[in-house]
Amino acid sequence: MHLECHNLNFTYPGSDVAVINNLSFSMTKPGFNAVFGPSGVGKTSLAKIIAKKDADIDGRITNQDIAVILYSYNLERLPGWSSTGTHLNKVTPPGKTELRERLIHIFELNDVVHSRFSQLSMGQQNRMNLIRYLLQDFDLLVMDESLANVDEKLRETIILAIKELFADKMFLYISHNLMEVSKFCRQILVFGKPSENKGSLMVQGQDYKQGYRLNKQSLDITMLEIMNAF
Amino acid sequence: MLFRRIYQFLIVYAMGISFLLAIKVGLSLSDYVIPGIPLILETAGQMLAPYFSDVMNTLSVTVLGQCMSIFMAFAVGIAGRKSSWIGSFIKVTAYNIQAYPIVALAPIIFILLGDGFIPRLMIASMICYFPLLLSVIGIMATPVEDIEHFYIVTGRMRWQLEVKIRAFENLNKLTTVIAGSATLAMAGTIVAEFIAANAGIGYSIRIALYQSDLAKIFIALFLIGIVISVYQGILETLGEQIKNKWSISKKGKIL
Repeated sequence: MHLECHNLNFTYPGSDVAVINNLSFSMTKPGFNAVFGPSGVGKTSLAKIIAKKDADIDGRITNQDIAVILYSYNLERLPGWSSTGTHLNKVTPPGKTELRERLIHIFELNDVVHSRFSQLSMGQQNRMNLIRYLLQDFDLLVMDESLANVDEKLRETIILAIKELFADKMFLYISHNLMEVSKFCRQILVFGKPSENKGSLMVQGQDYKQGYRLNKQSLDITMLEIMNAF
Repeated sequence: MLFRRIYQFLIVYAMGISFLLAIKVGLSLSDYVIPGIPLILETAGQMLAPYFSDVMNTLSVTVLGQCMSIFMAFAVGIAGRKSSWIGSFIKVTAYNIQAYPIVALAPIIFILLGDGFIPRLMIASMICYFPLLLSVIGIMATPVEDIEHFYIVTGRMRWQLEVKIRAFENLNKLTTVIAGSATLAMAGTIVAEFIAANAGIGYSIRIALYQSDLAKIFIALFLIGIVISVYQGILETLGEQIKNKWSISKKGKIL
């Protein structure tokens, strides 16, 4: 499994300012990778370009063993005419009922499956939305702040569970949480601030898995590397 | 909602009559120009029952015409929601045709079809059809990206689901537009009856006009106002019930 980007440039139509400027990176192997950086540096634009395979871009994106790419983001909503549980049932592919129930349990949503989406808190809404995507067939799932508004402890539980349950899939996690990406991601693409003319840099994360033992020193080094990169 | 509509109309009607009576008193006009209260009450006693029957006749055409226009507006609106060539063609055609006053086309319809039920129905539905169509096209052509994204990227999107999502997300707008179009349908029917028909309250108003009997016209207007207020009130109540049944409010609004 391989995702590679060569000299990617992207400017929104009608704009003079490039959002992505000569970006090159490579992500290998399944697992949790991240795109990190301050707001407005092009993280979401990059994610959308990767997800939209036929995007008209200047540059080249190649991938190997990645047939299905899905892009999820934190503002998505489920239709409001029936309960979230009913919607989840409808989008669960055959044979994945057990996985659905397991995810609902891990994501701590058992109590709200009979509620409509608008009745859920923002964190519950984001978790419910993420479950829908995890139930689909995919090779690469882009999670654009998909766990926003979820408390830190549960977020850690969810990320570790996803890493275990979907060990053969690639994830591209967009988050503003420095500690989180440093701890759980393997490759972290850090976008520098355009105002300071900093490019992008790939930083190796700690890639902690279920039952990990925290190595504070190496985690601090990773976090410092990221901070220095933008 | 129903009672609010009725008393709102009664206030407006009372203000209108009071204004005319004030002019009558101020300028010392005769009952022939503006009838006094006794004459209005006497006419009401004579004409209330036949005019009520006429208004109900008009209302039946209005309801049927409105149902037709709602059906057509949704059919064309759904077909025209896409940004394809046919979708753009439907939208541009609808925008251009709605700019043309439908009442001006009424004589053509009457020449071709004569007096009767069908021309009244056609004009009623045409008058409320285009405003409805523009609203439906506007709603159906605007994606609800936050909801539709998942279904599109996972290949689950069907036109029925797309329509359902957009209709649900714009339920307030749709019910308001449908309730509002009742007035247009009623106006269309009355105009049709006024121009050339052999039944309905518009036809009766035309006769009263030829007799220069303003008291009869006051009674006709009173009944039209009451009936359309009740009809709109029922539509709004139905809309509210649909909204309450289909959607559910958030836990409670704090801010």
